[in-house]
Amino acid sequence: MIEVFDPTTSPREQPVTYVARPESLKGKRVGLVENTKYNSDLLLMRIGKILQEEYGVEQSILRRKHNSSVPAHQEIIDEFRREVDLVVAGIGD
Amino acid sequence: MPDLSSQRHKIDEADAIEFYFEKGWTDGLPVVPPTEKKIVAMLDAADLAPEREIAFITNRRASVVAEKVAINAVMAGCKPEYMPVVVAIIEAMADPRWGYHGPATSTAGAGVFVLVNGPVAGRLEINSGDNLFGPGWRANATIGRAIRLVMRNVIGTLPGKLDRATIGHPGKYAYVIAENEAESPWPPVHVERGCRPDQSAVTVFAAEAPHQFYNQLSNSAEGILATLCDDMRISGNVVGQPQYALILAGEHMRTTAGAGWSKADIKQFVFEHTQNSVAHLKRTHRLPGVVKPEDETTMRPLLKSPDDLIVVAAGGRAGAFSAYIPGWGGKRASESVTKLIKERG
Repeated sequence: MIEVFDPTTSPREQPVTYVARPESLKGKRVGLVENTKYNSDLLLMRIGKILQEEYGVEQSILRRKHNSSVPAHQEIIDEFRREVDLVVAGIGD
Repeated sequence: MPDLSSQRHKIDEADAIEFYFEKGWTDGLPVVPPTEKKIVAMLDAADLAPEREIAFITNRRASVVAEKVAINAVMAGCKPEYMPVVVAIIEAMADPRWGYHGPATSTAGAGVFVLVNGPVAGRLEINSGDNLFGPGWRANATIGRAIRLVMRNVIGTLPGKLDRATIGHPGKYAYVIAENEAESPWPPVHVERGCRPDQSAVTVFAAEAPHQFYNQLSNSAEGILATLCDDMRISGNVVGQPQYALILAGEHMRTTAGAGWSKADIKQFVFEHTQNSVAHLKRTHRLPGVVKPEDETTMRPLLKSPDDLIVVAAGGRAGAFSAYIPGWGGKRASESVTKLIKERG
């Protein structure tokens, strides 16, 4: 018999808190995070339009990340913290 | 002997290799069973305590500690003296400029290309010559393999899960070379990047597979590099402006250097001769939109700047072949990072 060792590590846990979802989108301001992939701006603007026309969202603003593999940079986060009530983000390819 | 905290498994020695396959802890090849003696030797060679954190990969919430690196290095077949090189590579990959999450995860399927410079390359017999990217050298093969095993077992970069490469490439098993500093007429890459020649360093670059090019005709630097540029102009993520590496092997290196060309001259020439017209990029559906008259004369550089070409002297002495390596993504998403190797004593 020999004794051998486990080569793996589990990720360090991190508590994440979600804000409460708004009961209605009426009059809300929406931030759209564009991930730089082709047509992601078109898709997000379409989503923004639907949110305005069908759900009463007041306005939406679109901001572009530096690239698709990194989180939104600080300027976007700061602006959205001041200017919007909710955010639509995702990864499109 | 330091205390190791990893879970231990008592198994029949004859079953050890199969045990690691069954656990899903290999890259598809058999591994060396990591015993306490081998793991401790690996740690000692780099003067590292088992609990020492080498890196923290933010996106994965993964703490990469020395003990786990040592276990995976043993499994890969590394000699203990390779451990400082493995550690330096992981430090470089954790650098925000390299941006672990993108190149490790992307469908574009990057490998971790590692260039080793300085005296350590000779001491560890890291190949910089014949069959440069091929098999036959323990240090090249096992250092690269150790990195991939750490990515898999410690950072969770599992194919089909958090490694979403569509095609990938064979360099994802191991992709390590040294620069041929003994025969190169040029300053080595680590010296270009601020290290002293007597220091050793790794340069880590998220990259596609090497693309070999032929020029068996020209005996001039311009001729060889014209062929390179024609091959390279449409390659990789052509509109993303990644960094590139150029591997100039023996004959091409001697011809180019013999004509008095410096690395800076090569970089400038390649920068100027790999540009595409916007019209061509649109016609070939690499850029969106219809072709406008001004697109015919608007040029888009393949590289953001001449210094985004990493020129490496390496490869066999015979044969009129060299290679270029497109980087992954774009420079803003991942750029090559150089780290000193901290050898014991």
